[in-house]
Amino acid sequence: MSTLETLQEILSCEFDLKPAELSPEAKLAQLGVDSLEVLELMFEIEDRFALKIKDDIPTNLVTIDDVVQYIDSLLAQQSPAHAAAGPGLAPFK
Amino acid sequence: MTKYRVAVTGLGVAAPLGHSVAELFTNLTAGRSAIQVLPAPLSDVMHARIGAVVEFDGRAHFSTPRLRMLDRVSQLALMAAQRAVADARIDFAAQSPDRCGVFVGTGMAGAATTDEGYRLLYGEQSDRIPPYTVLGAMTNAAAAWVGMEYGITGPNLTYSTACSSSAVALGEAARRVQSGETEVMLAGGAEAPLTPGVLHAWGAMRTLATPDEREPSASCRPFSRNRSGLVLAEGAAFVVLEQWQRAIARGACIHAELSGYGLSTDVVHITRPTPEGQARAMRAALLSARRQADAIDYVNAHGTATLQNDAVETSALKQVFGARVHEVPISSTKSMHGHLLGAAGALEFIIAVASLERGTVPPTMHLDAPDPACDLDYVSEGARTGLSLRAAMSNSFAFGGTNAVLIAEKAD
Repeated sequence: MSTLETLQEILSCEFDLKPAELSPEAKLAQLGVDSLEVLELMFEIEDRFALKIKDDIPTNLVTIDDVVQYIDSLLAQQSPAHAAAGPGLAPFK
Repeated sequence: MTKYRVAVTGLGVAAPLGHSVAELFTNLTAGRSAIQVLPAPLSDVMHARIGAVVEFDGRAHFSTPRLRMLDRVSQLALMAAQRAVADARIDFAAQSPDRCGVFVGTGMAGAATTDEGYRLLYGEQSDRIPPYTVLGAMTNAAAAWVGMEYGITGPNLTYSTACSSSAVALGEAARRVQSGETEVMLAGGAEAPLTPGVLHAWGAMRTLATPDEREPSASCRPFSRNRSGLVLAEGAAFVVLEQWQRAIARGACIHAELSGYGLSTDVVHITRPTPEGQARAMRAALLSARRQADAIDYVNAHGTATLQNDAVETSALKQVFGARVHEVPISSTKSMHGHLLGAAGALEFIIAVASLERGTVPPTMHLDAPDPACDLDYVSEGARTGLSLRAAMSNSFAFGGTNAVLIAEKAD
């Protein structure tokens, strides 16, 4: 499953959004995902992608595609090969 | 000083023993108790293994995103408020929203949210505290959600005076209607204290009933010599209050008049009640209803089944009712629905109103060992029917000392 598909599944199951609305260009705010729900979304992303998201969540996550790009960048940084190279990247319990 | 009579036009409950007033009252008059051994892991809590639960799963009523924001206390509040509004057949969208208000009483507020936040922090050493923790736990959350649900933009207040919280909410709401400050009030109480942390805290006080091992449902024994304490319960109860003439004009069904509300405070100890304090609140309620004690045909007692309260309340009733005290039926329905803490006052006021409407007094159950210190007519033999009841008093007393008494009179 691609990053986009997994994210779409999270948004549809945990945030009760219609799959048809979840195009890459769709804006989170217009979908009714407010700032607190973005924080909740980050927890779901941590669980589903086995990532650790730090407190400094980017403020420019406007569209679904922005979130996909963000997840992919974290995956690249925190993949096992990268994890061995740097501190603080162990999977979060 | 009073400008407007206060009509009770809507009643709604989400309570142990009932999701409607009719269901609740039928169960009460049949003497059925909702008190049971709590499901695991709550049943593992020493000193607090029993309670009265509302048969209710929020997932059947609220979407997943909404449930993240709603502690169980707010879910129960929204359900009870919705039922009160439906019963009143009132459309808040057709009212002047700033002439309406929401007053709610709660003691422990969003206890499950608080408990879960601390479990994650201290128990799991997690730094992932849900972002809605503050909004779920805050004391005024239930009132805020109810106000938003109906677009009510007048005063939205939360009263937290422990076990008298929602009696205060109803009384203060009635005063707003009486004075003309508001026209319609949605007032009630909500409580959801059946969480491990809250149960442990109450258990530590040793004020909870010892479970009856043979028959857990009989564990709460108000006014009985073998009473051993209160039983915690969850639930919510709401009423719609409005100006009498306005209710008549819109063709509303008036259940009763909320005619009296009295307050007093005990200041001798943080938990110990006094007969004088409780009697002062009852007299203040009678005074505000412009009634003598002999007008009262039924008392829904605070009757927690703690050793202290029941003897003190009996003594206070004697001070207020004098020689006639033995002629007044008095019952503690907590023997069946348990102690809803901050929601108890609203629920028991609704039970008192239902009693007036039906001419039936629900019993005090499990009073099988008379106590010389509690020697009044507690209706322990079972419900009494076919009565002509004109006025009822509902008593609510609290840790912290805030005594609140409400009087309902039959609508004519």
